Amino acid sequence: MTVCNFFLQGRCRYGEKCWNEHPRDERGGDYRGTQQPSRGGYGNRVWINPSQRTGGDYVQPSSFSRDGDNDWSRGGGGADVKSSDFSFSGQNRFSALASHSHSDKDVQSPTDDVDTIQKDMEIWQTSGQWPFSCYSVLPGKLSGFVEVSPEELRLEYYTGRASGDLQAYMNSVQQLADQWRSRVQELRTMSSSTRISVISELNDPSSQTSTHEFGSSASGFGTTSSSSSSSSGFGAGGFGPGSQSSSGFSFAPSKTGFGATNTQHASGFGSGAFAQPPSGFSAPAASAASFSFAGPAADNKSSAAAASSSVSAFSFKPPPGGSSGPADGGGFGQSSTRAADTGLFSAHSDLTAEELKEFTAKRFTLGQIPLKPPPADLLVV
Amino acid sequence: MSLFGANTGFGSGGTGVFGTTTTDSHNPMKDVEVTSPPDDSISCLAFSPPTMPGNFLIGGSWANDVRCWEVQDNGQTVPKAQQMHTGPVLDVCWSDDGSKVFTASCDKTAKMWDLNSNQTIQIAQHEGPIRTIHWIKAPNYSCVMTGSWDKTLKFWDTRSPNPMMSLQMPERCFCADVVYPMAVVATAERGLIVYQLENQPSEFRRIESPLKHQHRCVAIFKDKQSKPTGFALGSIEGRVAIHYINPPNPAKDNFTFKCHRSNGTNTATPQDIYAVNAISFHPVHGTLATVGSDGRFSFWDKDARTKLKTSEQLDQPITACCFNNNGNIFAYASSYDWSKVQSQYTSGSVISGKSPSPAAVVH
Repeated sequence: MTVCNFFLQGRCRYGEKCWNEHPRDERGGDYRGTQQPSRGGYGNRVWINPSQRTGGDYVQPSSFSRDGDNDWSRGGGGADVKSSDFSFSGQNRFSALASHSHSDKDVQSPTDDVDTIQKDMEIWQTSGQWPFSCYSVLPGKLSGFVEVSPEELRLEYYTGRASGDLQAYMNSVQQLADQWRSRVQELRTMSSSTRISVISELNDPSSQTSTHEFGSSASGFGTTSSSSSSSSGFGAGGFGPGSQSSSGFSFAPSKTGFGATNTQHASGFGSGAFAQPPSGFSAPAASAASFSFAGPAADNKSSAAAASSSVSAFSFKPPPGGSSGPADGGGFGQSSTRAADTGLFSAHSDLTAEELKEFTAKRFTLGQIPLKPPPADLLVV
Repeated sequence: MSLFGANTGFGSGGTGVFGTTTTDSHNPMKDVEVTSPPDDSISCLAFSPPTMPGNFLIGGSWANDVRCWEVQDNGQTVPKAQQMHTGPVLDVCWSDDGSKVFTASCDKTAKMWDLNSNQTIQIAQHEGPIRTIHWIKAPNYSCVMTGSWDKTLKFWDTRSPNPMMSLQMPERCFCADVVYPMAVVATAERGLIVYQLENQPSEFRRIESPLKHQHRCVAIFKDKQSKPTGFALGSIEGRVAIHYINPPNPAKDNFTFKCHRSNGTNTATPQDIYAVNAISFHPVHGTLATVGSDGRFSFWDKDARTKLKTSEQLDQPITACCFNNNGNIFAYASSYDWSKVQSQYTSGSVISGKSPSPAAVVH
C-alpha cells in the first residue's frame, strides 16, 4: 500500500480508516477516529473492507454503510468506543503485540478483543440471531458455544415427533438455550476471571480442546461442548462449558449411552463421531429417552472438588436406561480391543485430573506434560 | 407419473411486478407461485442444466419428498413427478446432461432419479444424514460428491455401492458447492476447505474463515473466463464474505458485507439479525442473490460492491433459491427454516413449519 502523505504530515483525516498506509512508529495523536460522514461520499467502496476494520462493526446500520468505529487499536481514540476503553489512552499498552503491517490479521491487543467480544455478545443477545453457533475472534475461537445447525435441530424434532417423545427434545433445546444464554451473559459482563480465561484462550488457540460432537444422528441428541484449558472464569455455566477451575475437560456425554443404535464407538478421544469422556466426572447419564441433557445437568456442578474426587471412580456412570457400550469392567467402555492396562499405559485412576486433561487435550501445554504414560484408550491414531 | 396430494395450487398471476404496496405478505412480490408445493418446508431447489430443453425445477422438502415441476416460458408451473425418501431431503442436484437428479436425505442415503423412467436407485450411503450432494463432471471421470454430518466427503460412481473416494473433514459438512475444477465445503466450527478436482479430488487448502459465526451456505463464483475463482460464504449472522482463492491483493479483494438485517440506518434500536439461508450466482451476469430468514431476497453486485435490489418481506423465511440456466428465472422457496427455535422455547410453544410455497419470478 502507498504511504499516506497526509499521515506523514500529521493531518490525515481518515485516521485508522485510511486506505493508505500509516507507518506505525508511534501511536500518537496523529489520527483521529473520524465519524461516518467524512467517508460518506467515497465512491463505490460501499462495503466494509476487512483491512480497514477488524470486527467491531456490528452496531452499524445498513449493509452498505461503513463502520464508524474501527477498533484496530482502541487506545488511539477511535470513534464511539465505550468509556472503559480510554483506560489505555494513547499508547497501546500491548504495543509489543501489535504488528506493524496492515494485514488482515493484524494482531489486536487482547483488551481490544475483549471489547469486541462484549459488543458481539450484546448484539447476539438482542438481535435474535441463531444462538447455537460457534463464535470466534481472530485468531482464537471461544469455547463454550455449542455449534448446531438449524437442520440438525429440526431433524431431532422430527425424529422426536415420530417417536412420540417431544418432551425430551424440548428439554434439550431448553438446556442448550440456557447454556447459551449464560455463556453469552458471562462474556458480556466480563468479570475479571472470565477476562483472563478469554484472553488466554485467544492467545493460545492450540490449547483449546474443541470437540463439539453434536451427534446428529436420528436416534437422539448427544451434545458435547468443548472446554478449554483456561476455564477458570466459567463458574457454573450450566451444562456444557467445562466449567472447572483448572481441569477443563471436554466431557462428551457419550452418545452411546442412550440406546442409540449407532455402533460407531470411537475408541479414542475425539475420534469418530463422538468423543468419549475419559474420566468419570461427567457422567453422560442419558435418560431413557435418548437425550443426554437430563443426566449431566444434575452432576455437572463444575467444581474442582468434584473433578478430583471422581477421577478415581472414573467409569462413566452407566446411564439409568442402561447403556449399550460404556459400562464394561475396565470402566472405559470404548477401548474395545485394548487392554486397560498392560503396564505400558496408565489406568485412568492413576492419573490426576490435570494429567488426564493434558492427555485429552489436542496438544500438550508446555510445562504440564505428564510424566506418566497415557491410558491406552486415549491414544488416538 | 405420480400425482401430488390435494394441495391448493395458487398460481396467482402477475409476473414481475415488484415493489407493490400490497398487504399480501405471503407473496408480496406478486411472483408466480408454483402449483402443488410440498407439504413441509423446502430445503433445496435446483433448475435443470442447459443441456435440456425447457426449464425443470426440482425441490426437496422436509416432507421426505422431491418434486419436479416444469416451468413454462409464461411462468406457469406444471407439476411433473415426485419421489420419496424415508427422511427429509436436504439437497438435490442435476447431472450435467439433465437426465438424472440426485437427492440427498436425512435417511443417510442418496438416490439417483432417472427422470425418463421415473425410477430411483440408491447410490450412496453415509453414517449420518447427507447434507450436500453435487455432480462432478471432469474430463476423465464423473461422480457424485456427498457431504454428510458424519464428517466425511464421499465420491460415488453411481454404479458401485462403495465410494470411489472418501475424504475426512474436521467437522460436519454444512454446505458445499462445486464448479469444476474447484469444490468448496464449509463445515461446522467455522471450517472451510477448498478441494481441487482435477485427476481426482484432493484437498487443496484449508482457509481460516472470514466470518465469526456458524457457516450456513456457500456458492462459488467464476471470473470473466468462466473459471471458478472464489466463493461467497454466508453465515447465520446476516453476513456474507466474498473470498477469492488467489487474489492479487487479499486485503483489498476479500471483504464481507452485512445483509438480512432489520433497521436500515437506524442505530438507536438493536438490529434484528437473520441468517443467510442460501446464496446463488446469476449464471450470466455474475450478480449474486441472497435469501434470508427475514423473508427477503436481495441481489448484489460483488464487483461494484453494491446492493442492487431487495425484495419486500415475505411472511416466512426464505429457505432456498436458484437461478435457471440462462438467468431468466429466479426461484425462491418461502417456508419456515427453524430459525426461531430459541424464542419458541422461552415462550413454550412449538411452531410446526407448514405452508411452504416455492415461488418463481421471471425477470
